[in-house]
Parts: sequence; structure tokens; C-alpha cells
Amino acid sequence: MHDTQIVQAVWGGVLFGSVYGLMALGLTLVWGAVRLLNLAHGAIFLVGAYAAYWVVSSLHQPILVALPFGVLAAAAFAYAMHLVFIRPVLGKPGFDNSTLVATVGISISVSAAALLIFNPEYKVVPPVLAGSTIVAGVQITYQGLLVIGTSLALFAIVYMFLTYTRHGMAIRAVSQQMEAASLMSIPVVQTYGLVIAISGALAGLAGVLLSPSFFLNPQSGFNPMIQALIVTIFGGLGSIRGALVAGFVLGVFESFVEVFYGVAWAQPGVFVLIILMLIVRPNGLFGIGEVRRL
Amino acid sequence: MLEVKGLVAGYAGSEVLHGIDLVVNDGEGVIVLGPNGHGKTTLLRAITGLLPPRAGQVLLNGKDITHWRADVIAAAGVVHIPQGDLLFPEMTVLENLLMGAYNGRTWAERKVRLGRVYELFPWLDERGGQLARSLSGGERRMLALARGLMSKAEILLIDEPSLGLAPLTTQQIYASIQTVKDGGMSLLLADENANHVAGLADRVYLLETGMLVREGPAQELLHDKALLESYLG
Repeated sequence: MHDTQIVQAVWGGVLFGSVYGLMALGLTLVWGAVRLLNLAHGAIFLVGAYAAYWVVSSLHQPILVALPFGVLAAAAFAYAMHLVFIRPVLGKPGFDNSTLVATVGISISVSAAALLIFNPEYKVVPPVLAGSTIVAGVQITYQGLLVIGTSLALFAIVYMFLTYTRHGMAIRAVSQQMEAASLMSIPVVQTYGLVIAISGALAGLAGVLLSPSFFLNPQSGFNPMIQALIVTIFGGLGSIRGALVAGFVLGVFESFVEVFYGVAWAQPGVFVLIILMLIVRPNGLFGIGEVRRL
Repeated sequence: MLEVKGLVAGYAGSEVLHGIDLVVNDGEGVIVLGPNGHGKTTLLRAITGLLPPRAGQVLLNGKDITHWRADVIAAAGVVHIPQGDLLFPEMTVLENLLMGAYNGRTWAERKVRLGRVYELFPWLDERGGQLARSLSGGERRMLALARGLMSKAEILLIDEPSLGLAPLTTQQIYASIQTVKDGGMSLLLADENANHVAGLADRVYLLETGMLVREGPAQELLHDKALLESYLG
């Protein structure tokens, strides 16, 4: 076992972990608060990434201008999705089925729209931080460090927002006892919209920050979506701490398997780990079951 | 002043309230007495927007609030303390109280308001960090009441505050409601026990199978043993 291999595995793992966590954070937040399994999360990721790409390539603006634009576009898209597809069925029988179908439909539509508007070629979104350094023979990109830092910071910010602020507490209140929340003058439906928009902003940010490493094409939303779903289920649906820990556990595990046993074993290894974990803890690592939510 | 005119409400397929007329004047304590299952909870839910009425009107200080959303009605000052507490179970005692002051203009005064509810229930201050789900039945009821008091209420609607509580706790709850009323708060209290509410009541309505069958001063109605016996059993 060489130092290079270990550094490679740790770096890859922490980077994967941050990426997974960042995507899972938005997904788990919406599940916890709205009980919505948002299968359009990857599509929203794509909206953020393409919006940033458009600002860079067509408006010739630097990535630092494109980044906030991509985040806002993703948040606006998510909010529009809430207004058109989620709000009309809130609290109605069949909410789960209709939102599942709607969010899958949105995913397909966004991919198709991206194909029509931008063509199927891979696009390059420039990194916010260019350059890299070599540690023990492993290339450490500055963009990767930025992704790790951003992901950790966002977990902290979302946690503090939910714990200490008026609107954050209201989100938890709505998720735990909707009727009492409305009796406390909390506007339930707007609060759902707020959560979905925040989740959209997180997906959009992930889209802009990750596209330089993964490239961008109309199918780019699919893998992050699946990974986020896996991380969220592993960590326990609705648990923020679960998303953070599960992101890093799965990221590091996958990276070590990849470095030491070859890339072919990485995905199967992750699934074996998840299946074993779900046998032991059916509700996930920090499974909170049906009663406890955010 | 809260006025209810010809209120009709119910659930899918069944009408529970068949035209309710009721008034609560400022500072007045009004009790709706009736046996279980005759529509007390439905009445309060229809007033505060949890159950949209089928017909009739609800007026707050002359303004029609009948079809307002529950959160807007609450923000206007009609504060409903529901049956079964409906606390936020995974939030602390303090967080539950703070949610009572969620409304923008109330939030700025939340510290002063916390001080006031701590005077009424000092244990809330000492146990602010405890999760609501770990409280006893009586404590939950007190927290639900205190959470309602954190808001800028013009009128409090309280649904059977003593349901399922031990006698000593029941006394404590009614004593604290009395303190709130003595401070000038208007009250609309739904109850099935005439003995509990004697001190709080200025006026009493008797509710039977979704209709108000008698109305009168508390002094008169609550001392008419034969009447109460026939309605409440």
C-alpha cells in the first residue's frame, strides 16, 4: 500500500462525499419538510448548470457572475415546479403518486429541452478556482477543495437556519404538525414553497460547481440524482445529519474500493454496503421513520 | 368582538353544525357547553379556518373572516388552542413557545412575551430545552396554552382544556385560564363540564346535536341543575 494510493483514495472519497452530500442535502430537506420525493432534483441540478453555462458562453461573463445566476435560475425553476405541480395536490389523496409522476416528467422534459436548446455535445463550464497542486503524487484541484468547503459550509448553514431562525423553525414546525403550525399563523403552503426553492438553490449550486469536473450534457442530471437518492436512503430519509455522514461514508468507501480493487468494483461495492446497512437499519443510518422528521 | 352567524359546517357526507349564531364581546368569557360528539370541536375548527364552513359568516370586529386561511385568521388575533394539544413533538419547549410568536409583529416582542408566560408557568423556563414529546399530559396542555398566549391574541378559543387530565392538573389549567381572562382577554371555551368553567363564564351557550339550544348569563344557566342534568347527563 503506497502513500499515493491512500492519498488518492482519501482525496477522491472526501470529494465524492462532498458532492453526494451536497446533492442529498436538498433532497432530504424536501422529503423531511414536504414529504415529497423530488425526482426532479437532478433536473434542477441541470437547470443550474446550463444557466451558468449560458451566461459564460453566450453573455461572455465570468463564472463568478454565472454562479449566482445558475443558483437563482435553479431556485426559480424549483419554485415554479412547486406552484404548478406540487401546490395543487398538497394534502390531497394521491399526492405521492401524482408528484412522483410529475417530477419524473419534469426530469425528462428538462433533459429534452436541454437537448433542443444546447445540443447533445459535452459543454465545459469553467471552474470557479482554476489550478491544482500535487500532494504525494496526487493532483488536488482547487475547485475540488472549493466543492468540499462549500458542501461542509452549506450543511452548517442549513442546520443553523433550521435550528435558530424564525423561518427555519417554522419549516420544522410545519413538517411536524401542519395543523398546529397554521394555528400559529405560519403560512404552510408558502413555507413548502420556501423549502423547495432552497432545495433548488442547493441543487443549482451543485450543478455549477460540479460541471467542471463531470462535464455537462443533457443526461448529466441523472447520476447526481441517483447518487443523492442512494445517500439519502442510506442516511435516513429526511435526516440532514444522515445525508452528511452517509455522503462521506459512501464517498470514502467507494473511493477506497476503486483505488484498491479497481473501478469495476466501486458501484457494486457501494450497493452491497447499502443493502447490508438497510438489513441492519431499515430506516437508514439516522433513520427517523415516520414520526420524526426534520 | 367575534360574531358567528348561521354557521353550517361538517365533514364529507355529514353536516355537524346546522346554523350556529354566537357572539363573544370584548373581554367576555363565553362557554359553549355540550356533550362529546355534538359539534364543539367542529365549531371551533370552522371559526378558525381549519374546516371551511359550508354556509354562514364569521366576523371579527365587523370584518368578514369566514373564508380566510387558518394562518391569516390566527395572525388577525383569533387564536385557537386545539384539542389534543398538537405540539411540535420534536421541538423543544422553548421552540414550541417561539412558534406561538411566529407572526412578524409578534416575533419582535417574543422576549417580553416569554417573560409573561413564564410568570404563569415558571417550569417552562427551567425546562426550555426539553423536547415536547417527553412531557406529561398535563405539561403538554400547559405548553399548548402557553404557546397560544405567545401570540397577539384578541380572543382565545380553547377546546376542552381538561380532557383526560387528573383533577389537580385540571385545577391548575383553569386557574391559569382565569388569570389570562382577568387580564382582559376574550375567551370562547368549549367544555363538557359545567363545574370547571363556573369562574370563567360570563355567558353560556348549550350545544346539542349541532345546534345552540339555550343561551343565557352564566349565573343563571350554570346554577340550573335540572337543566344541566338534562343536557349533559
